[in-house]
Amino acid sequence: MSNLWFLNGIRKGIVTEKFPKTPPEDPPAWPSMLSGAGDARCPVDAIDGNGWNMDKCIFCRRCTPAYSPTGNQDIFTVESEAPIFHRSLYIYPLDSGSCGGCNVELMNIFAPHYDANRLGLFITNSPRHADAILVMGVFTEGMEDPLRLAYEAMPDPKIVIALGSCAISGGIIGDPALDISKYNVRIAGCPPSPYTIIKALIAAKGV
Amino acid sequence: MKYYSFGEPSGRFIGYSQGFKVYATTIARQYTDMRQPEKKAVPQGEFYFGYGPSTGGMIESVGVDLLTPGELITEAYVNPSYKQRNVTIRGRTIGDASLIVERINAFHCAAHSIAFASAVEDALGFDLPDGIAHTRIIALELERIRSNLLVIERMCQPAGFGVPANQLAILREEATRIVSRATGHRYFFSSISPGCSMMNLSGVGNAVRKISSTFSRIYDDLLESKVFMSRLINNGKVSIDSLIGPAARASGQARDARIDSATLPYSRFGFTPVLHETSDAFARFQVRSEEILQSAGIVSDALNGASNTGKMEKLEGDGEGAARVESPQGDLFYYVKVENSIVRDIVMVSPSSSNIAAFTQSMKGNIFTDFHFNWESFGIWISEAGVVLQ
Amino acid sequence: MYQYIAVIIFGIAALLSVISRKAGYITVVAGSVILIVAGFRPSDYQSYFILISSIVWILISIYSLEYDRKYGRWLSSLFSLTVMGMAMILVSQTYLIFIAGWEVMSIASYAIIGLNSRDHTPPYVFMVFSEISTILIIAGSVFAIFQQGGFSFSFLPVGNDTPLLLISLGCITKMGITPFMISEWLPIAHGNAPANASAMLSATMTLMGVFMIFRLISLSPQSIAIGIFFLAIGSISVLFASIYAYIAENMKMLGGFSTIENNGSILSALGLLLIVQQDVFRIFIILTIIIFSFAHSLGKTGLFLTVGSTKGEYFSQVSAGSGRWVSAGSIISFASLSGLFPTLGGLATWMLLESFFMEAYLGGFLGIIAIVVGSVIAMGEGMAAGAMIKMSSFTQLYPKTRTSRSGGLAIFLVGSLIILLFLASPIVFPAVLKGSVSGTLVFYGFTIESRFGPADFGLISPLYITVVIGAFALLAYAIFGKPRERAVPAWNGGRQDLTVYTSYSYSSNIRLMLRRILRTHVTSGSQPVSVVDIFWNTMIAVARSYRNMARRITLGVMNSSIGWYMVYMIVTFMVVLLISAYVA
Repeated sequence: MSNLWFLNGIRKGIVTEKFPKTPPEDPPAWPSMLSGAGDARCPVDAIDGNGWNMDKCIFCRRCTPAYSPTGNQDIFTVESEAPIFHRSLYIYPLDSGSCGGCNVELMNIFAPHYDANRLGLFITNSPRHADAILVMGVFTEGMEDPLRLAYEAMPDPKIVIALGSCAISGGIIGDPALDISKYNVRIAGCPPSPYTIIKALIAAKGV
Repeated sequence: MKYYSFGEPSGRFIGYSQGFKVYATTIARQYTDMRQPEKKAVPQGEFYFGYGPSTGGMIESVGVDLLTPGELITEAYVNPSYKQRNVTIRGRTIGDASLIVERINAFHCAAHSIAFASAVEDALGFDLPDGIAHTRIIALELERIRSNLLVIERMCQPAGFGVPANQLAILREEATRIVSRATGHRYFFSSISPGCSMMNLSGVGNAVRKISSTFSRIYDDLLESKVFMSRLINNGKVSIDSLIGPAARASGQARDARIDSATLPYSRFGFTPVLHETSDAFARFQVRSEEILQSAGIVSDALNGASNTGKMEKLEGDGEGAARVESPQGDLFYYVKVENSIVRDIVMVSPSSSNIAAFTQSMKGNIFTDFHFNWESFGIWISEAGVVLQ
Repeated sequence: MYQYIAVIIFGIAALLSVISRKAGYITVVAGSVILIVAGFRPSDYQSYFILISSIVWILISIYSLEYDRKYGRWLSSLFSLTVMGMAMILVSQTYLIFIAGWEVMSIASYAIIGLNSRDHTPPYVFMVFSEISTILIIAGSVFAIFQQGGFSFSFLPVGNDTPLLLISLGCITKMGITPFMISEWLPIAHGNAPANASAMLSATMTLMGVFMIFRLISLSPQSIAIGIFFLAIGSISVLFASIYAYIAENMKMLGGFSTIENNGSILSALGLLLIVQQDVFRIFIILTIIIFSFAHSLGKTGLFLTVGSTKGEYFSQVSAGSGRWVSAGSIISFASLSGLFPTLGGLATWMLLESFFMEAYLGGFLGIIAIVVGSVIAMGEGMAAGAMIKMSSFTQLYPKTRTSRSGGLAIFLVGSLIILLFLASPIVFPAVLKGSVSGTLVFYGFTIESRFGPADFGLISPLYITVVIGAFALLAYAIFGKPRERAVPAWNGGRQDLTVYTSYSYSSNIRLMLRRILRTHVTSGSQPVSVVDIFWNTMIAVARSYRNMARRITLGVMNSSIGWYMVYMIVTFMVVLLISAYVA
């Protein structure tokens, strides 16, 4: 290498995956869609008589071998699509009370392996420029006001996305950042992998 | 308690919680007021510039107040309590407690899990087999590589240094995928718990060597960039007594849990800490970078003799235990009291709290544009500083 | 001769003011109108200064109708007397009347500052510099009178530039510029007067200096040495004054420094006039001086009247006058002082820089100096824009108080004039250039061009700006209709309270960046970034010795009340005026 960074960049070539056109190259086993049936031990009651609930699951492996990971990364729920954003979606991330895992995975979707910008997904630094607010972590007293203010500071139309089990259900840590009915999109996982996040955000744009 | 005893202060100061002052080998029972310090009154013409809690420039939610007459920063206050999580661990089983400890800071899950597991093992008098100790060292050093890569990546970003930032992001993702292949989870979740560690170490050696050699070239090139260096040199000088981790080692002090904590057998690998003298952001950048290369070496060495217990040992009994490991940020201390496999008390002293104090000190006399370089150089994680375990 | 009627009317205004302030100001308006009618001739460059001054006096008088209640009984009277002194300078045909006018102006304005200053230092400093300038002017006049053998202004023999140098030095001192050093007496003195007086001092009193230097240059032989001297101190003044304006905390001080900066620009243009040979180019420079003086005087009037209608003189306590029209007037004044389009100040700044670029092409060796001076002035103009942005944001964005009706009207009139004169400049100003020299400044449809042999330069014209801004606004409106707004609340990182920026902090970047020049001290005390005022400390030392001397004389000669002293002064100057008129 030389310290001509421009040349360094070119020499490195393209590392970005073709995902989502092609399947993920290196999906993690946990978290991913679980397959299995019946009751099993679960510290967060994600498994009961009705089977597995991805929104509550923290993917702690207690339920193995009754349930096992499939590697399928499509663990998200889109309640209402927002086709107005189908060209581009500007996201304002708000950390309500996370462990930092969701924060890093969200950051990772813009790293070279994933490069979410090519898919029309962008981060904005102010809710005033945002189409979507992406909430991470459990409810905390200190972030209650900032969360409300950020939502109010966003122009209409706007959508609310929950990232990770803490934001959706509180996980094993506490209470959810918002009531589950307030979310237009729920991205399960603890933390959700970049593949899951990208797929979910594209689905939210309603292509 | 094999490693620690309650009593008078002895050895270097590690940090404090509300009830404990922790030193190298002793714990002093002392009350410390954990509330935010009172802010200085605003002198004529100056004002508090409020940054955060929710802002695009920071990874996590944190409120920063900078007292400034414009441009120059005369006082800094960091408030990690906006996103303060009050997490109940007391009364839970060791297994459930372990799940929560992993989620104190996902990015440093290995450090937290290993420190907690060691404390529990200490409390129950469980002797860790050598093979698992080696595996834990590998986990800790892999995590250190990834954490330091992020610190350097984040230091490149405010300089608009896109190519190295992205190349470091590639390496970081590769490190994460090593962890993912070895443990089934990108952040070590549910792979380390008291009495056990589950890692499939095949292929780790080669992959880490690749990261190490690529990083070594990026580091050399970064050192050539005068523009980038000038943002770091003399930025955020701090050499107070209570420094720990990379911040201490960047001011020439050989403080490292890997040499003065008996929890893990680092001495077998002839470990000596990386030291730099200038105590500014540049020195912290150098320490972090060189530790990536050093950690890659430790991983290679520790792979010989590493082994796994495929499944969790059943741990039972009563007792108190304490342990300290070197997380990428510095000393991470756990104390637990176990009764009948139930956690009755838990105390955590996080390196980020200590680093926040050091950062606050180092911001005095800086200017606004220094902020992000200096902040990132400490590698502070609010999730571990702003959490209350109860 | 009719012009002297105006002078006498100003004198009458001074006496009337003792009885009724309003009557006094109305009389000043009347006198100013008569002065324009009697003294202004479009083809006479020098009479443009009469036009500029009179317009400013009219505006300030309108403003003062409801302003000066809180400033004691003498303000109106002394204001009229100062105006009278300036009118004497403008209409003077002999050195004697010029000196008499200069003294009337200086002493009356000294009294304004002295009566209204809480601190004793500023008036004494003002007096010291007034006396220095008077001594230099008298010395220069004596030289001129002996060399030409008469009292009246007439051409000086070739090779004699001593009168020009001495009188210019006297005028420069009055303009707040002393050789190789910015004197801070002007900002501090002007900052200590009531706003209407500050406006008069900054907008027209310093203009008298410009006027006299201009007059002497037209009577004197060319002098490259003095020209270079003017260029040097002019450009240094522009740069330093604009830096000091940028870091000023008192709004009137900011205005005072801005005055020095503008005077520095005009002095540089005068210096250029002294070294340039080509007749056509000289006329372009004269036009620059006139337009720049116009822009400076109007803009400065707007600035000081705006400050006058705010509560508090410091940015930290400012609460500006309310009303859309007042704001418009103020912002246009600030834009003009920043050298922005579409204002007269924009045109003036362009013409000034243009002059230096042309000299760079045409001047040979002197072209190098022109490049350097032009660059320094451009830097200063940039800094001045920063100072004016500070002025507009801190006066216009903060909670408002009520402005009096006449005050609001005057400020709005200032703004309108600045825009109108810019738009009308194609019609108004080429009228000066009747006859053979019409090719200097060509208003050619959408562009203004300056054509000198190899160096053709140009600028988009006021017409272009009007058409483009107007047409695009209409076009956008026609296509998109009323703009759709997605209004959302302010966002401050998730906090309820909003951060309030202080004006002191606004300029601390410059305090820190230029710490060598400004001698910034960074400490951990209550005011961690402070600037050492080396200039001001020197000024105070000079003034202090003068004060001691003056006190001894005052105690020895007279110790009656200040009121009687004022009456004595008014009567004395009326007598001086009548004698001078008789001699003339």
